[in-house]
Amino acid sequence: MSELLDVRQISGGYQKNKPVLHNVSFSVHPNEMVGLIGLNGAGKSTTIKHILGLMEPHEGEVRILGKTMAENKTDYRQNLAYIPETPLLYEEMTLWEHLELTAMAYGLEKEVFEERANRLLKEFRMTKMAKWFPSHFSKGMRQKVMIMSAFLIRPSIYIADEPFVGLDPIGIKSFLDRMLELREEGCGILMSTHILATAEKYCDRFLFLHQGKIILQGTMDELQEQAQMPGADLDDIYVEMTKEDRHD
Amino acid sequence: MTNAAELWDKRRSDYWTMAVRYLRLIGNSGFLFTIYLLFVFGSYYYGQFLQWLPETFPAVIFFTLIFTWLTTRGRVRTFFKQGDLIFLTPLEGNLSGYIRSSIRYSWIMETFWLTLSMLVLAPLFFDRVSEAGASFILILLLLSGLKLWNLAAGFEEQRVLDRKQYTNHTFLRAGLNAVAVYALFSQQPWWLFAFIAGALIIFYIGYYRAIARTYSLKWERLVEIENQTVMTFYRVANSFTDVPSLKSKIRFRRWLNPLYNLVSFEQKNVYKYMFARSFFRANDYFGIFLRLTIIGGLFISIVELDWGRWLVAALFAYMTALQIETLKNHYDTSQMVDLYPLQTENKQAGHKFWIVFLGIIQSLIFGITASLTYGAGQGLIILALSLAVYSYHLMVRLPKKYETLSRS
Repeated sequence: MSELLDVRQISGGYQKNKPVLHNVSFSVHPNEMVGLIGLNGAGKSTTIKHILGLMEPHEGEVRILGKTMAENKTDYRQNLAYIPETPLLYEEMTLWEHLELTAMAYGLEKEVFEERANRLLKEFRMTKMAKWFPSHFSKGMRQKVMIMSAFLIRPSIYIADEPFVGLDPIGIKSFLDRMLELREEGCGILMSTHILATAEKYCDRFLFLHQGKIILQGTMDELQEQAQMPGADLDDIYVEMTKEDRHD
Repeated sequence: MTNAAELWDKRRSDYWTMAVRYLRLIGNSGFLFTIYLLFVFGSYYYGQFLQWLPETFPAVIFFTLIFTWLTTRGRVRTFFKQGDLIFLTPLEGNLSGYIRSSIRYSWIMETFWLTLSMLVLAPLFFDRVSEAGASFILILLLLSGLKLWNLAAGFEEQRVLDRKQYTNHTFLRAGLNAVAVYALFSQQPWWLFAFIAGALIIFYIGYYRAIARTYSLKWERLVEIENQTVMTFYRVANSFTDVPSLKSKIRFRRWLNPLYNLVSFEQKNVYKYMFARSFFRANDYFGIFLRLTIIGGLFISIVELDWGRWLVAALFAYMTALQIETLKNHYDTSQMVDLYPLQTENKQAGHKFWIVFLGIIQSLIFGITASLTYGAGQGLIILALSLAVYSYHLMVRLPKKYETLSRS
């Protein structure tokens, strides 16, 4: 199987007569980190919702490890971890309980869970806060809880929506280092972000989403070639590609 | 929007659309029946209470205390929102109509509460203060007038930024109110009322109006007052139904932590795990359970009629079951739960587990209370009855609820 995630010609959105996404296709392979780039309202979050199975596409399909969600819902979800843009925590659970619950939900063995959880807590410098409730957490700490939960379950594919927002520099580094490690191990990562410099440095390929369509995709070299801007960085290419639109 | 009066109307009607929705839920929750029951019991015991109350009871002082508090408390509802700090502040000079509407609205609402309190205390009033219906109505009218003065003065008072001075002003009003209310209930001659009323009006014009000219509106405080009012409403509504805006209130209750060990580390137990924490920590589900159990137990121990006691046990068990039922919606808005690789059956099993657990606990408490006060036979009947109510809930009512849930 060559693709971990395969998005095939999906059109979709909240209303049938007003699609947000138009014929979007792309895939994420093992050992690959793909950057999903787009302006506010370009359709990044909608794309992610379709991948997560929170919305059904009007047309087209999404496959994870070759299966659609309709074929097997639990298998589909088992192979997927999601790091949302705004941390979604249970206010009534401690940090440790968040991790424990996630481990239970994804069917981890207790020993495996404890070993992984302690390591993650240490890596993200949250060991002291294990018994804390989210009301005592800053935005960055909340984001770390989401990141740790995702890393805990070790799925084949990670979907990260603006994962750096609110993280301190050390947090960002731990996150990216871990992502690179996972990529080495054969995982696939789809990461949406506005921080193009970081994306350029870490991602293998890029998807430019604009007004619900993929206007450009490929590696850095391919992008430069398609945009006919040799040597340009991601920022410049992106600004150039969405330019005409801002003049009318 | 430039038209402040239109804005005010819209704000008020928005609030009431929301409020009516909750009030309807409260009406449907079976709690109204309890209130009716309390009313029937209450009016019976009220008469007995009045006979028992010694002649020396200082009724006038009692009324003065209650109504001084009622007239002093409460502030003008402005329906201001957080965003108004930015969007409405430039219009501050044109808002006098808006504010007048707010004061009028608050006055009507507060008069409603005054009237309700007077009606509840009416038997005591006629028994100890005055037998004349005319003085009852006159006092109520004058109290309402005093309330209007308080609202108007209290509104200008919020312009004083300094917390301490702000509180001092409230105490000042409380003092004036105490004098006026005492004069009312001790039925002083009419010229004294006229004098007090005149003095209050002059004081308002001379002092509070001057404050209004010197200081600007304190928007943050007004928004805070508004939020508190809405929160109070939510909190009341929350004892009957689930209010999403209140979700954030968490009590840690660490002493209950050992209970969580009932749930072992297994994939099928995920919902059991989650519901345990939401029940004991979030939304005060546990607080309501505790209150219903204690009040139910209390009723069971004091109601002397056999069938009355059975009815109370069944009723309280049923109300508790209804409350625990709302627990199932707790994670409906959480996106992360939707992503877990789990079947919906797990959720229902998790929910049922806690209903059974809590139902048995409550039935035992009711049963033991009854057996301590009325003998083991009664205890067994109460225990069986409560368990029967929970079984009915589990086997008849819940499956229907789950069905409507999975269909939507």
